[in-house]
Amino acid sequence: MFQRILVANRGEIALRVIRACRDLGIEVVAVFSEADRDAPYLQLANDAICIGPAPASESYLNIPRLISAAEITDVQAIHPGYGFLAENPHFAEVCRLCNIEFIGPSEQAMRLLGNKNEARKLAQKAGVPVVPGSEGLVRDEAEAVRLARSIGFPVLIKAAAGGGGRGMRVARNDISLQSGLKAASQEAEKAFKDGSVYLEKYIEQPRHVEVQILGDQQGNTIHLWERDCSLQRRHQKLVEESPAPNLPPELRQEMCEAAVRLAKTAGYYNAGTCEFLVDKDNKYYFIEVNARIQVEHPVTELVTGIDLVREQIRLAAGEPLRFKQQDVVPRGVAMECRINAEDPAKDFRPSPGVITRWQAPGGPGVRLDSHVSAGYRVPPHYDSLVAKLLVYQPTRSEALACMRRALAEFVVEGIHTTIPLHREIFNDSSFRDGRVDTTFIERTWQKG
Amino acid sequence: MADEASRGPGPFDVKTIRQLVALMNQHDLNEIDLREGEQRIRLRRGLFQGGPIPFAQTSASAPAAPTSTASAPPAISATAKPSKTLLPIKSPTPGTFYSSSKPGAEPYVKVGSKVTPSTVVCMIEAMKIFNEITADCTGVITEVSVENQQAVEYGQILFQVDPNG
Repeated sequence: MFQRILVANRGEIALRVIRACRDLGIEVVAVFSEADRDAPYLQLANDAICIGPAPASESYLNIPRLISAAEITDVQAIHPGYGFLAENPHFAEVCRLCNIEFIGPSEQAMRLLGNKNEARKLAQKAGVPVVPGSEGLVRDEAEAVRLARSIGFPVLIKAAAGGGGRGMRVARNDISLQSGLKAASQEAEKAFKDGSVYLEKYIEQPRHVEVQILGDQQGNTIHLWERDCSLQRRHQKLVEESPAPNLPPELRQEMCEAAVRLAKTAGYYNAGTCEFLVDKDNKYYFIEVNARIQVEHPVTELVTGIDLVREQIRLAAGEPLRFKQQDVVPRGVAMECRINAEDPAKDFRPSPGVITRWQAPGGPGVRLDSHVSAGYRVPPHYDSLVAKLLVYQPTRSEALACMRRALAEFVVEGIHTTIPLHREIFNDSSFRDGRVDTTFIERTWQKG
Repeated sequence: MADEASRGPGPFDVKTIRQLVALMNQHDLNEIDLREGEQRIRLRRGLFQGGPIPFAQTSASAPAAPTSTASAPPAISATAKPSKTLLPIKSPTPGTFYSSSKPGAEPYVKVGSKVTPSTVVCMIEAMKIFNEITADCTGVITEVSVENQQAVEYGQILFQVDPNG
């Protein structure tokens, strides 16, 4: 087992990893940019190293500085958190070359699954259904138009090097396909240094259901059931829950088994998530694998009783999985609201600044994962997540009531947050009936 | 002492001291030296490098009068200002500090060394790469703030340079 781990991240996930290390009796080193110098969670680590100025490229994305910090603090492993370098195979490779364990999957699995088009092919090989689409990259417009006609419009133009909702465009006819292809390829070239694109059928109003998987380095892989993340705005998740409401049990079983099959075929170990779309006919399609721990992992922790970050550390240290599939029995219902420092009334414009009041909810069945408190200055340089509010109850209706109660208790002043939006969501009848899809937020809350 | 207490707050009263400190900050004073009967308080702020300083003169024993006004640094215009502004040389990366190019060699610089912007002052090793760090300023090294082979973080002060030295 590791003696000391460095967490190459910031904010709430850094705090999460610090906590998991301390639970396991492992020393933990935090890193910070100058913008995070006064972050309270740094005090909970055994050591904290300044790695650069505020811009992420010079701090949390800067591999030499992170590795250097790891070397001077003599750590045996690095936990990359999520975002930043968590899915960067080069970073995983550099860690290995510097004799530092990377807490996550192998760089090979990351490379394979990081290319969304390759991941698609892998899924087909594993007998996992994929969205009908181009068999490989689209090379020219004529080919694209032919393909789109055989798949059937509308189609989605996707960047092979993209992911997480970025680099996608819908085309409903030949004209928008042609212009969309050019634009998508240019954007992808700029954002991901890879302009290659492929096509998929555009599924109208799908549900987003993902499966958590966990694998050891001995080849054992299990799933920890699913999460429904259909409530999204611009492909960013707002609310997640488990189990997925109104999902037929056979479908749930089939999807979870498909995820395990796919992970095994990819040689995947440690924690990861297999994302699927479910259409109105309850047909499911593989979208992508997120080769990292995810923001919404606590939802699964609550329904399974398994601490995913601690398991990540154990698995990275070479320990075998401590559970067999039949040991993972989900109980109850968990839901999570992502609280962002954004102003819902101004098109979710980021709202950095000093939090003057932070009255957090609590009580039975409430879990709050947050690195902030009153007096904390939310920096403008990074993502706007300030807290994850979770509830855990025996039934979905109790979970809804508990979340409504917790949101009502939650008072934040000094910055804007998405709490008011969440209150509206939890009062919405479609959501309460468990009948939402990924277009729901944008359809219901159209802002000018 | 009883009669002093009855006369009101003396120099060692915390409230008085706070007020004096506030006054010093307000008027940018470096030092004040007050005496009342047998009691004396002297408050000094920042680095004391010599040069003219205002203080309350007492009739008692020799005060700390400036002895070398002639050699006072010409850069000091307002007597109330701190007498020197030092330029720190900070580490541009976390890593290990090396004061010389190899073990046993003379250090790149020491206290008293003159530096210009391109003068190499040390090496910082990060990820097995040795980065030569330049002074990026002109002056004289007044302090070597870290030790050879010490682990340093981004922004850590490595040297202090006197631009007027």
